[in-house]
Amino acid sequence: MKKGLSTSLFLSCIMMLLPSLLWAQDEFSFDLEEIEKKALQVGGYLELRGDHLNINQDSVFSNLNLAAPEMSTMDLIRGSIQLDGSYEYGISSLNLRLRAAAQQDTIGWTDISDVYSAYLSVKPDPSLALSIGKKSYKWGKGYAWNPVGFINRHKDPNDPEEALEGYVTQESDFNKSYQGLLQTADLTLVVLPVWEDINNDFGERDNVNLAAKLYLLYMDTDIDLIVLTGNSRSNKIGLDFSTNLAPHFELHGEAAYIQDHKKIVLLEDNSTSVREQEAFSTLLGIRYLAENDITSIIEYYYNGGGYSEKEMIRFYQMAEAGFAQEPTLGSNLLDRARELSIKGYGRPQPGRQYLYAKFTQKEPFDILYFTPGITTIVNLDDQSYSISPETVYTGLTNWEFRLRFSLINGGEFTEFGEKVNSNKLELRVRYFF
Amino acid sequence: MLHIIHKITGSFLFLLFLTGTALALDGNELLRQVDARMQPQSYEMYRKLINIEPDGKKKEFVLYTVKTGQDKMVALFISPASEEGRATLRLGDNMWLYIPNVGKPIRITSLQSVIGGIFNNSDILRLDYHVEYDAESITEQETTYQLELKAKSSSVAYDHLKMEVDKKTLLPTTIECYAVSGMLIKSLHYSKTQDFGDGLIRPSVLETDSPLHKGYRSLMLFAKLQKKEFADEVFTLNFLPKVNELR
Repeated sequence: MKKGLSTSLFLSCIMMLLPSLLWAQDEFSFDLEEIEKKALQVGGYLELRGDHLNINQDSVFSNLNLAAPEMSTMDLIRGSIQLDGSYEYGISSLNLRLRAAAQQDTIGWTDISDVYSAYLSVKPDPSLALSIGKKSYKWGKGYAWNPVGFINRHKDPNDPEEALEGYVTQESDFNKSYQGLLQTADLTLVVLPVWEDINNDFGERDNVNLAAKLYLLYMDTDIDLIVLTGNSRSNKIGLDFSTNLAPHFELHGEAAYIQDHKKIVLLEDNSTSVREQEAFSTLLGIRYLAENDITSIIEYYYNGGGYSEKEMIRFYQMAEAGFAQEPTLGSNLLDRARELSIKGYGRPQPGRQYLYAKFTQKEPFDILYFTPGITTIVNLDDQSYSISPETVYTGLTNWEFRLRFSLINGGEFTEFGEKVNSNKLELRVRYFF
Repeated sequence: MLHIIHKITGSFLFLLFLTGTALALDGNELLRQVDARMQPQSYEMYRKLINIEPDGKKKEFVLYTVKTGQDKMVALFISPASEEGRATLRLGDNMWLYIPNVGKPIRITSLQSVIGGIFNNSDILRLDYHVEYDAESITEQETTYQLELKAKSSSVAYDHLKMEVDKKTLLPTTIECYAVSGMLIKSLHYSKTQDFGDGLIRPSVLETDSPLHKGYRSLMLFAKLQKKEFADEVFTLNFLPKVNELR
């Protein structure tokens, strides 16, 4: 009887300890040190990227941009670091984002370093925040483009999730929550000066500009009303929205009106003029998650301030004529083409109508953290396009691997047909710390 | 005569007992009690999410979460470094994800997963069960109640749940999550009941597996779950980059 009792007690103890033994065996612990907050926080990532490009020989931009246009391929290796830091003291915090990169390619060595943001923020109350310093803005609901991003830096639609450099501003943010159809109202006021050494790439100097954004969450729809006024750029007004039409179907859009949009235009006699006219740009997009875990992002962009197909062809023809000129006779047309390229014709997405589509499949074949996808950007006016399949793997803690191939294609005198390269293979590895 | 009176009284008492039992077994009331035992209405907590692959490989995420009212919730990733600063906000049926590099919140849906693995956004930003589900039936067994729950709207991630509740503690032990088609999407298992202080005694581990991902498991460990009040303005898009300042 006594032996039986001892055995029962022993078994009971084993039963009681079993979960903890399993726990220990599985090493599932939650150490409170892991959640300890530090006033000074530093993080960021190191990146190594290798690209192989097939040069689109005889294209307009390979002749305009490459020092040795006869080259058929180009290889590059690029290392970069992004450093994010913040220091909190009471209701204030100091925020910093630095970025530096160095690149060795077939042509030579380049390096660059920038302060992307550096600002002091004070939050006396959850409904009020003030900041001063260099800060990055990404206004608008569009994934690839943001016609209402009046104080945004230009983002690359091939990598729209990358950090962007900011502008030196003073920002005030007031927000209030409500019960009812209107759930949130948030007003952001941004003062953006343009002086000799401050924000001098934003627009005309010696002006103080004001941008304002009123955000409303009304009837489960995000709505932003945005204005920019000041003399550095034309006055602009815009609206954006985003809403879920169904749990897995999101619709978003943007509309922007620019009062006096200035555009440098090449005329038929190869002279140039600056046109000042009103411009209206729109974007309409969807994000849809299908039952098979494929996420689709599709956007249509009408760039009212862009160049028509005819205007773009005129530019390509002038550049071609410049390449054909006898070097001894000078290269006026070529110089003018290079100048026009910088001032507008060579900017990313200079045309009028574009389509963006990105499809990603989450973890197919039960491969955790593996996301294949395909992205395409089409110039709807000239039917040229880029198409980029890619795979992303994030299975190793703090590592991200991305392999991407881009095919860039189009006929003569089309946007993607006249790019520097006809394709690109890219491997990018990031380590986060 | 006395025998008849006794019979009538007995039948009456039996009926009264049945009614009393039915009242005691009101599924929606039981669901409210389960929620009340699981967490206060407004709180902060830390969670560790662990994804375990069939070969034993693990990946861990730590989140700081705050909630107020019935349907306002924010979860901030504080580790690993690759996810640090990401924040998800839920206001009723609306969900957004903020990624520091991207710099603006984007709308997400409840069945997406911002971390990969079996836990999806609705698991990470789960509201009280009685807010999203109605109890359709309840059955009593020796040591448990079995609740059949139906989603109040089509925007809820799982169409219906089968919840097993421990009779003594009124805490959930197992929850099976089903799609509209009746397909079992995942099973959730609560374990390791722990005293979080202030009278809150509840499971500290939630484990999930799914017939759709055989061999894969995900765990959620809970820590420092405590009652705390927050201003409604904390649960707004512009506050997402500042959530870490609440800690």
